[in-house]
Amino acid sequence: MIKLRRLERRYSLGKEKFFYVLRDINLDIAEGEFVSVMGPSGAGKSTLLHILGMHDHGWQGEYSLNDTAIHHLKPKERATLRNEQIGFVFQQYHLLDDLTVYENLEIPLSYRHYSKSERAALVADTLDRFQIVGKKDLYPRQLSGGQQQLVGVARAIIAEPKLLLADEPTGNLHSSQGEEIMELFRKLNDEGMTIVQVTHSDKSASYGKRVIQLRDGWIVNE
Amino acid sequence: MLKDIRFSLRQLIKQPAFTIIAVLTVALAIGATTAVLSLVNGLLVRPLPYPDSQRLVLLLQHFKSQNLERIPVSPPEFKDYETRSHSFEKLGAFGYTSFNLAAEDRPERIAGATVTSGVLPLLGVSPIKGRFFAPEECMLGRDDVVIISARLWQHRFDSDPQIIGRKLLLNGKSFTVVGVMPANFDFPLQLFNLGSGGQFGGRAEIWKPLAFTDDQMKARYNRSFWIVGRLAPGISAAQAQAEIETINAQMRREHTDNYSQDNSFGGDVFLLQNLAAAGMRPALLILLGAVFLVVLIACANLTTMLLARAAAREREIAIRVALGAGRLRLLKQVFTESVLLSLIGGAAGVLLALWGVELLKTIGAQTVPRLREVNLDLVVLGVTLAICVGTGIIFGLAPGLASSRPELTEALKEGSRGSTVGKRRNRLRNGLVIAEVALALVLLSGAGLLIKSFARLQNVNPGFNPRNALTFEISLPKMQYPDDSSIVRFNDEARRRIAALPGVQAAGFSTILPLAGTNSDSSFAIEGRASDKNTPSPDEELREVSPDYFRALGTPLIKGRFFTAGDKADAPPVIIINQAFAKKFWPNEDALGKRIVMGGMSDNPKWITIVGIVGDMRHFGLDIDPKPEMYVPFAQSAYSTAIYVVRSNQDAQVLLAAIRREIQAIDPAVPLANVRSFENLIADSVAPRRLSVVLLGVFAGVAVLLAGVGIYGVMSFLVVQRTHELGVRMALGAQRGDVLKLVLIRSLKLISAGTIIGLIIAVMSTHTLRAMLYSVSAFDVVTFVLVTVLLGGIALAASFLPAMRATRADPMVVLTAE
Ligand SMILES: Nc1ncnc2c1ncn2[C@@H]1O[C@H](COP(=O)(O)OP(=O)(O)O)[C@@H](O)[C@H]1O
Ligand SMILES: [Mg+2]
Repeated sequence: MIKLRRLERRYSLGKEKFFYVLRDINLDIAEGEFVSVMGPSGAGKSTLLHILGMHDHGWQGEYSLNDTAIHHLKPKERATLRNEQIGFVFQQYHLLDDLTVYENLEIPLSYRHYSKSERAALVADTLDRFQIVGKKDLYPRQLSGGQQQLVGVARAIIAEPKLLLADEPTGNLHSSQGEEIMELFRKLNDEGMTIVQVTHSDKSASYGKRVIQLRDGWIVNE
Repeated sequence: MLKDIRFSLRQLIKQPAFTIIAVLTVALAIGATTAVLSLVNGLLVRPLPYPDSQRLVLLLQHFKSQNLERIPVSPPEFKDYETRSHSFEKLGAFGYTSFNLAAEDRPERIAGATVTSGVLPLLGVSPIKGRFFAPEECMLGRDDVVIISARLWQHRFDSDPQIIGRKLLLNGKSFTVVGVMPANFDFPLQLFNLGSGGQFGGRAEIWKPLAFTDDQMKARYNRSFWIVGRLAPGISAAQAQAEIETINAQMRREHTDNYSQDNSFGGDVFLLQNLAAAGMRPALLILLGAVFLVVLIACANLTTMLLARAAAREREIAIRVALGAGRLRLLKQVFTESVLLSLIGGAAGVLLALWGVELLKTIGAQTVPRLREVNLDLVVLGVTLAICVGTGIIFGLAPGLASSRPELTEALKEGSRGSTVGKRRNRLRNGLVIAEVALALVLLSGAGLLIKSFARLQNVNPGFNPRNALTFEISLPKMQYPDDSSIVRFNDEARRRIAALPGVQAAGFSTILPLAGTNSDSSFAIEGRASDKNTPSPDEELREVSPDYFRALGTPLIKGRFFTAGDKADAPPVIIINQAFAKKFWPNEDALGKRIVMGGMSDNPKWITIVGIVGDMRHFGLDIDPKPEMYVPFAQSAYSTAIYVVRSNQDAQVLLAAIRREIQAIDPAVPLANVRSFENLIADSVAPRRLSVVLLGVFAGVAVLLAGVGIYGVMSFLVVQRTHELGVRMALGAQRGDVLKLVLIRSLKLISAGTIIGLIIAVMSTHTLRAMLYSVSAFDVVTFVLVTVLLGGIALAASFLPAMRATRADPMVVLTAE
């Protein structure tokens, strides 16, 4: 599903000098995999994930998603593709404080081609599936961290992506809350969703089937 | 305190963009305010430039049955008032005149006044050299003395220390200078809506004694003098008015031939102060309202700007609170800064106003009474200072309270987004933007209506063609031109020579020009119509004109003929009337060939035959419908002053030089005066209106600019404030268009709310403009739509920049921020 070849990410340090965050990344991830990316802080894990999620465009190399050459796409085409294929879960949840749970879930749908009734149906389904129907009118600050991340995951998958990217989804949670999210991931993976997560915890990584170690921008082992 | 100021200054210097915008905002608002305050102060508040001027009055008369208001008095009437009244310390009569001052190079026409001996002393201003007129100098034969202005003394006589006793050649006659009045002395003042400008409406530089002839003393109907008086101590204008009415009753009883026995005739006592600029009062009050709105908008702007900055300085404030800064201390710090800002801005505004006031003077000094006196005095500066401090405190209020509340600061420190505090402040910010848009729209609607009126007025057909027409006055001195035939001979020759100049299409002259501020009328009787003593005889406008006058003006002949060279003094008396006249007196008949007699019917009437009917022209103002007018041949009723109209396709300067040569060839001592293009003359006639249009237009422009800046500021802040939200939305699939829409819809909501409220206020308030509108309804839909679209467009454009910036934001920045 994902094919990276000689992928590089670097930041300019002034004249002709660069700081490399990712170097010569070659990686294949098949459909249905549940991959955990691990490594020390600053290794480039988030960077990799945001490149996969097409938030970051400043890289060199080749990135194919389902045989589409992303490196040949224009930003707008990438955005369209991302909207169709990818969901993203953030360590800091990034829910919108002024919106209710219901409205937060609606956001991704509002930027895709869903009719009003389809939206309502999808949100209702998702609330149901995540067992948060009772919370739909609450604001994020009225929820616990675990509940917020639950909404974050729900929001990431509501538009039915094929690929779920999660950057330290449990990093801000107590272990029991974290396990709940990981159980959820396993369930999603069982249903066929490809998942790439960044994590520091071996426990979380153990939910996945494959671990990629990053160090100073290099993949060191698998 | 000093420490606060120093700290504030450092803050301001640290953020030059913020400071510049804030200072400019204040400068525009305060500049507008100061300019209008100067006008209000100079025109309405400040006493006239005479000691104890609240006791100065003008005594005018009216003939209600003939629709005559504020008319001058006749010499015998003046004597009646003078000898019988006790309410006045002194009364004096004066008239407008002008003098041909002889000079080696080129003779000059100089505006002046004739005054009875009481006039100058009662005004309370002493001569800087010499003396006033003695009573005996106001008698015929003794009146060969003049008092001149210091202005004339300086620029014509090089401030000659020996000026007293020096002889001047005025109108070909020798006069001795007995006094010099101070440079700032101004009398008579131009007065609004009074035909008092004289034909040569300049500032009087020469005063001559007014001596009445025996004939004048008998002619109760010959009203061409004005009365000025000083109320006796403790007497009010109302008390004087009551006494005048008693005297009027006596006059009616004693001269039954001259006054009808109803209350149609009478005199009115006006405080000079109230009369002086009364015509500008409504406009000034509206302008005052307008600048008030501008100041409010500026305050709203600065509040939002300071609020935004307070938000940006949360950390600094939090630290201060943590270090134990008290609420009062923080408040003081904020106020120091806001007041400092408004003082710096105010200083810039005062400079702006100084420049603006000078500009205004060039627009209207000729026609707006007292405008010349307008300046920025200490009173205005004091009020401006108070307004600056006041506005500084007002726009520091919300930011001050926001940052001085420790519990708020706590909330802010947590950085909890969407807290109730943030919401409340957003609501304030939104409210301010809505208010700004609403206020700007109110101003813009008013300005729009005035501008449309002005445009309509410019397009009014005055009944003649002002393009390519030059006008000037020639006044012949009595000494050299003692009788009608000499006057007619001179003017005929002058007209013949001018008409023969290359490029001249037509040349004519008249005693009275339309839209020039002068006027003359006469009563008359119509042949075959019964006239009895109790109904007043009709009275209409009368002018004496030369052949070709109408052709030079471009006024069409409707019927009959124009005057010709054949309509000489000894030819049968003829008259031309305009359409309004024909329609009024012969609504269903042909007026041509009908006969009238000037004055009243007599046993041996001198019949004048109507030989032509010409088109109507607007005489009293572009905004006043034409009135019935009569024209008689100048040759049959000559005056010493003639106003020429020359239509030509020749360059005005070249033409003027040629005309001067021709006139000098006839008589080198006769000057041209009051040379103007007819277009300038018309522009002068609408100068007071132009003044208000320009001012209100500029203020509306400033308001729109400020509202635009305000919306820009609030939207920029909003975008910064919502960086997180926008970043997340973009990460979740929002594309640039979605983000743009999000921001623009938000600002569109504010703009719509503002315009709706603004339109409601505008509809409720534009009726106050009604007096200043011309052929435009106070609810002119087109104007309202236009200004709404204009303001909406500008406001939307102002929010477009921040919106664009929002779309360029990189969500990565938000997403990867720890
Ligand atoms: N905008 C940037 N400019 C320069 N360096 C950056 C930027 N963003 C991230 N980096 C650097 O890239 C490296 C990898 O960051 P990141 O992918 O966030 O690491 P991880 O998620 O593995 O902790 C870090 O050393 C970080 O300092
Ligand atoms: Mg990271």
